[in-house]
Amino acid sequence: MAATQTTNGPRKRVTAMLLLPTTLWFLLLLVMPLVVITVYSLGERAPAGGYQPALTLAQYANLPARLKAFTNTLTLAPLGTLICLLIAYPLAYFLALKASRRTKAFLLTLVIVPFWTSFLIRTYAWIYILGGRGIPRLLEMIGIEDLRLINTPTAVLIGIVYGYLPLMVFPIYVSLEKLDKSLLEASNDLGANPIRTFFQVTLPLSAPGLITGSLLVFILLMGEYLIPALLGGGKVFFVGNALVDLFLQSRNWPFGSAVALTLVGIMLVAITLYLSLLGRQRRHQDVSIL
Amino acid sequence: MPTQPNNSQDVDIEFRGVTKRFADVVAVDDVSISVERGSFFSFLGPSGCGKTTSLRLIAGFEQPTAGDVMIGGRSVVGVPPFKRPVNMVFQHYALFPHFTVADNIGYGLRQQKPRPDKQEIARRVGETLELVRLDGYERRRIWELSGGQQQRVALARALINRPTVLLLDEPLAALDRKLRQEMQIELQTLQRDVGITFVLVTHDQEEALSMSDTICIMHEGHIVQIGEPRQLYDDPINHYVADFVGKSNFFWGTVEEVNGAVAAVTIDSGLKLSGRLPKGGRSLSPGDSAAIAVRPEVVLIGRPGAEALAATDVRAPARIKNRIFLGEQTEYLVAAERLGDVLVLSSKHNETVTGRLSTGDSVEIGWRTESTLALEKT
Amino acid sequence: MSKNDDNAPISAEQFMKELRRYQKGSISRRHFLGVTGLGAATAVMASAMPMLAGAGRAQAATIGDRVSIATWPNYYDPANFEQFTKDTGAAVQVSVFGSNEEMLAKLQAGGTGWDVFVPTNYTISTYVELDLIQPLDLSRLPNFNEKYYIKRFIEPGTVNGKVYAVPKNWGTTGFVLNRKKVTSNPTTWKEFWDLCKTDAKNRVMVHDYQLTTIGNALKYFGYSFNSVDPKELADAEKLLLDVKPHLFAINSDYQPSMRSGDAWMSVAWTGDGLQLHRDIPEIDYVLGKEGGELWSDFYAIPKEAPRVDAAYAFINFLIDPEVNAKEVHAHGYPVPDNRTTALLPKEMTENPIMYPAQELLNALEFGAAVTLTDPLRAEIMARFKAA
Repeated sequence: MAATQTTNGPRKRVTAMLLLPTTLWFLLLLVMPLVVITVYSLGERAPAGGYQPALTLAQYANLPARLKAFTNTLTLAPLGTLICLLIAYPLAYFLALKASRRTKAFLLTLVIVPFWTSFLIRTYAWIYILGGRGIPRLLEMIGIEDLRLINTPTAVLIGIVYGYLPLMVFPIYVSLEKLDKSLLEASNDLGANPIRTFFQVTLPLSAPGLITGSLLVFILLMGEYLIPALLGGGKVFFVGNALVDLFLQSRNWPFGSAVALTLVGIMLVAITLYLSLLGRQRRHQDVSIL
Repeated sequence: MPTQPNNSQDVDIEFRGVTKRFADVVAVDDVSISVERGSFFSFLGPSGCGKTTSLRLIAGFEQPTAGDVMIGGRSVVGVPPFKRPVNMVFQHYALFPHFTVADNIGYGLRQQKPRPDKQEIARRVGETLELVRLDGYERRRIWELSGGQQQRVALARALINRPTVLLLDEPLAALDRKLRQEMQIELQTLQRDVGITFVLVTHDQEEALSMSDTICIMHEGHIVQIGEPRQLYDDPINHYVADFVGKSNFFWGTVEEVNGAVAAVTIDSGLKLSGRLPKGGRSLSPGDSAAIAVRPEVVLIGRPGAEALAATDVRAPARIKNRIFLGEQTEYLVAAERLGDVLVLSSKHNETVTGRLSTGDSVEIGWRTESTLALEKT
Repeated sequence: MSKNDDNAPISAEQFMKELRRYQKGSISRRHFLGVTGLGAATAVMASAMPMLAGAGRAQAATIGDRVSIATWPNYYDPANFEQFTKDTGAAVQVSVFGSNEEMLAKLQAGGTGWDVFVPTNYTISTYVELDLIQPLDLSRLPNFNEKYYIKRFIEPGTVNGKVYAVPKNWGTTGFVLNRKKVTSNPTTWKEFWDLCKTDAKNRVMVHDYQLTTIGNALKYFGYSFNSVDPKELADAEKLLLDVKPHLFAINSDYQPSMRSGDAWMSVAWTGDGLQLHRDIPEIDYVLGKEGGELWSDFYAIPKEAPRVDAAYAFINFLIDPEVNAKEVHAHGYPVPDNRTTALLPKEMTENPIMYPAQELLNALEFGAAVTLTDPLRAEIMARFKAA
């Protein structure tokens, strides 16, 4: 007993010391700002912009003024996540299970290469691809006239899928890669055709990657502002754009804080719902058959 | 070593000149076999000999490059695994981690068309669990089970579909020795009970010898010898088989003369030894390189001039280098004059005659020529 | 491929040109970075310079080894900055900004480390009010001499009788239009806004900037560019909401779309008008007859400036007529200093985009401090964008 106590003490202290930077980081960069914007959100805009102390819910009462930004974000972020998922899954599946080693290395490089260029510049390139002399011009050649892409929700969606696809591909790829291939053979051997095998074995076992990827993309999309600003031409307005405007243009910090906190709240609710739905589904699956 | 197929009624699996090539590697090279219905058949050999590929050709995970694979008298070339009447126990069991024990076992039933109703599935899962002595484990998760229990779940899962043939890919490799021996008995019992053909792949000769009706020894994609365990042990057709099945002392040399079923070989030390030619093996000619194979248990050991050694044909003075007590038996490694190191397995009974022998003791060893074999290399 | 052939897909070469323009931070005088939220992007120039600067060693001891300036994209001549480093040994650190609001927000937050910044006329009184700017000791700026400057452009630098800022450049806010696409000849803001729904439907851009967008919408009704009257603003909002579905974009980065032919008209500033016209002659820059914005930018020193000596030296260097003329060659904005203007070539001084006709200039108004900070205008802009 005495021996374990003497070794436990220092060990605990070492653990505490190792955790210290993380704890400070959390307090300083997560908790503190959250407290600050909570306080701000209850205040008033100073006459020349910024914040002046007050205790009012007026900022929250004003939230409907940004309703469109919220509805845009809440439709395009989940939709973008879903489209990313639908495109990323087959790609990740092919990479992890079908591609030869060389093809795999080549394709993975292709997925990574865009990261070598700034996201801003790549999105900027899409302004040209989607603009009048890009895709619409090519479509004109085959007889589809007068198609406008740039500065539409479609353009924003295309940008979203382009920008966030790798974030979805990698977690799914990793979970499929880790998947024991003999499980697929076992399923096949037991009489399940490839499609049934996919739905009964591959898909449930790659769920962790799928969930990670979806959450990653969804959370980032909820705060997205660059793509709507560049490819939406300022006409497709996300909460992120509203926040940039509120903090940098009209300098209405209290209202900005209220909008930001509301976004955080919506995200928490959405993610909790999503995870608990998945959890229920999985529990259900455990006992479903018998 | 093609074996002519019997009446197809009695044959469950048949290979006709099957070859499987992966890129530039020939994994299975022109193999023809037939597996009798209801028998326990084993592929035995070291890794890379083509045994696993053969099993996967039966399961349908691989398609032959040439030749024909038949199950129940019908060619299954091009038939996908999920349409074949065979089921497999995988080397690492390949149990579905996201399912309970019951869901794992019922998996095969749930794939059937029409799908049996829930009660029927539950009933048969219960039955099968009983068969592998795991009743009551329905709701357990896979990771809660021991290795042996997982093994039985894998067995139950493969058996529930009542396959024509059960394929076992090194099923006991991951178990400890004691459990492995228990499972060997259990598998044998199970096979008799369910009465279906078992095809086993293993690199463990003891496993193959103890369970199989027929063993097929493979080497570099070819069949070396097919036969009953006893036959393989008593009459290995060459050094490769003799070395793989049981232990042997090999004395290498050149064939001096062949006299009927006995060959005389001058071993490297100049000593002339004789051995019986194995049944079914190729005949040797003078000048061939060959080995005289002597099983450790046919070597007699005693104090110099012991009476027990009087009846032996070959005798040599030796010194005990090492002694391993195995319980019922004792294994000696002795350095014998002109023979080199010789492994001797002596029964406990023998020790009562010779008295206790210790390392460093001078002894005499000897054997009878009729108990030895003259073998070509491969 | 001719750059006039706007129906042809963009060539790789052209794209690279645009990209390089972007990388230099020169896409638009304001706002590109503001829009993208990258306003804090800081270009550190010649950070290794102090080591290399031999001639300036002696002076380096007096003003320090560096000076930091916050300014707008494409609004300076890098060669001038290098020259300053060579002369004094102080390396120039540049922070490029997207909007006045952002600059103000940064200074309000504190800890910028800027020695010099470039506020626009209507922000100076706000800086004074918030005590973020220091009064200038003109004796330390021997190159500044009131008598050579256009009076109108000096005035906003003086608040409560104290000089806080000296003029840098001035300019106007009008609109650019592609004459090949818009064949009618709009000369007023009324025509501009009406075209949004007719001939130039889906082809018009307005700034993502309440000051100019709302200001020019107010001009449609003949109201003041600076109005904060709720009733007048309500009219402007109605107009904006009415045209919004037919706009190409709400974006201050209008050069790329004008160049590619996607947009045919846009609210624009002098320098962009000049650059577009220079490269694509059919793009014209027009000042609305009803008026609109006239603006001027200033050099000033933040209250918290860590290197005041260097700040004075740097400002004084930049307003030297010879240096200032080089600046104008680089960015194309006129200077309210007659000594500098005298050094400019005729092509510049006679260019109607840089120096519009006097009667057009007379109709223009300076933006007011309240115009920028008015919460209602900010809210209307937000509603317009979020609609």
